[in-house]
Amino acid sequence: MSVFAKYRHAFLIGLQSNIVYRWSFAVRALFSLFHLAFVFILWGAAYQGQTTIGGFDLNQTLTYFIAILLMQFFIGAFNEDYQISEEIRNGLINQFLLKPINYYLYRLSIFGAARLVSGALALLPILVALPFLKDHLVLPEGGWRIALGLPAMAMAALIQFTIAYIFGLLTFWFLEIQSFIILSLAVETILGGQMFPLDLLPAWIFRISQWLPYYYQMYFPTAIFTGRLDYAQALSGLAIQAFWVVALLGLAQLLWTRGLHRHTAVGG
Amino acid sequence: MSIFDYLRIWLAGARYSIVRTLMFRFDFIMWALVEFFWMAVNVLLVAVIYEHTESIAGWTRYEMLLLVGSSMLVQRFIMGFVWSNLFEMARNIRSGHFDFFLAQPGNPLVMVSTRKLDLDGLANAVVAAAVVLYAVRQLGLSPSIVELALYAFMLLCGFLINYAILLITVSLTFWLGAAQGIEGSYFTLMEFSRLPQQAFKGVGRLLFVWILPAVVVSNVPANTLIHGFDPLAALWLLAVTFAWLGLAIWVFNRGLRRYASASS
Repeated sequence: MSVFAKYRHAFLIGLQSNIVYRWSFAVRALFSLFHLAFVFILWGAAYQGQTTIGGFDLNQTLTYFIAILLMQFFIGAFNEDYQISEEIRNGLINQFLLKPINYYLYRLSIFGAARLVSGALALLPILVALPFLKDHLVLPEGGWRIALGLPAMAMAALIQFTIAYIFGLLTFWFLEIQSFIILSLAVETILGGQMFPLDLLPAWIFRISQWLPYYYQMYFPTAIFTGRLDYAQALSGLAIQAFWVVALLGLAQLLWTRGLHRHTAVGG
Repeated sequence: MSIFDYLRIWLAGARYSIVRTLMFRFDFIMWALVEFFWMAVNVLLVAVIYEHTESIAGWTRYEMLLLVGSSMLVQRFIMGFVWSNLFEMARNIRSGHFDFFLAQPGNPLVMVSTRKLDLDGLANAVVAAAVVLYAVRQLGLSPSIVELALYAFMLLCGFLINYAILLITVSLTFWLGAAQGIEGSYFTLMEFSRLPQQAFKGVGRLLFVWILPAVVVSNVPANTLIHGFDPLAALWLLAVTFAWLGLAIWVFNRGLRRYASASS
């Protein structure tokens, strides 16, 4: 079996098993519409009496939040960390140690399939709400935004997944990883730009955030697509993002190797 | 069983929870940090928006902080006293372990809701109270003892409303079975309790202010400290508390009739 075929099969199985959870994803997408309502009410009230905040008008800010919501469903890690943790805890990873398959690539293939399903399902409530949302959508022109935004999105997905993978691998050392994950999620919610556009932060904090991996998870591709970054900023951002992809992949590999030394496979 | 029997059982459960927390100290610290960080997320959101605007729907920075603090305080008590009990209830209904509570010689709802405490949630109630206190001082308010007692009573009403919403969402498990994550709808709804009533317009106002009890739980107590006691608003809060608590108990009891256990 060719290398590609192995992971294609993993992807297809992932697709099937995630379609089973279509209602779960659909309900989650529906809840996210309520979150969008919260965002619209809060920022609508904040814009009363002024036309711009941080140099952007209300519709530009709302477009940012719609884009980041879609981004979460297309590239965000959902429960990959828990799944990996469970596979380590239950000894299910033992089978991968005996087969010519790379566990990271196997999980990545399933992650890709899962995001295809959740992304498609997230579009449904957005499409339903489109008659209301379309008056607020303002997307900037410029083909380069697509040309740079798509690779930024792909690398953001890799960063998302690899961080989740790393948290999953912590199970080699810790019995319970849930609190680590939720703690990291809180940091990511702020520094990934999910609560507010990061450029609204005081300038010096914003500059620091640009060196952290969280910036490159959701905020960076969203900011390219919604016109919050110019061409030069997008290019230099891509370079730092690429660095983080490589660094996190290295860390994941290190933890995998070290973790396996600690791992005890029991049973037949 | 008398109320004293329930109190004794609750105290025994509380003692067990404290001993358990002392055994898993690292866990306690991590979860307390988790809740602390999530509160910080909400406070930061307020801080960042007010860097760019003077008011949100007529509320100043510290009035908004008082509102958010009040909402967080109610939620910390929910997390401390009932969250994990109700969360486990959903799991137990799915697995059939709910039989354990039905076999006990007390009211099933009381037994389910009061089984254990989460000290991390309660520890962070102190942080939420500090946020409220800070906002009160920054606003230069000096509430009387009566106003403070009314504020505390209104937070209790808010707690009961939160409990009712959570109980209704969890009770849906009796009908929906495997619909995991239904508890998330509680957090989705209560997110709106961090917004001022004046920010809502049109359908949003009808839905979140009048139909669903999301806004009343935090706005009425916060307004009591900021603008003084408003009997009409207090009556509204009281009526909403009774209505939603009544509805929640009814839904739970209806659900209980559907419960078919899972034993062989």
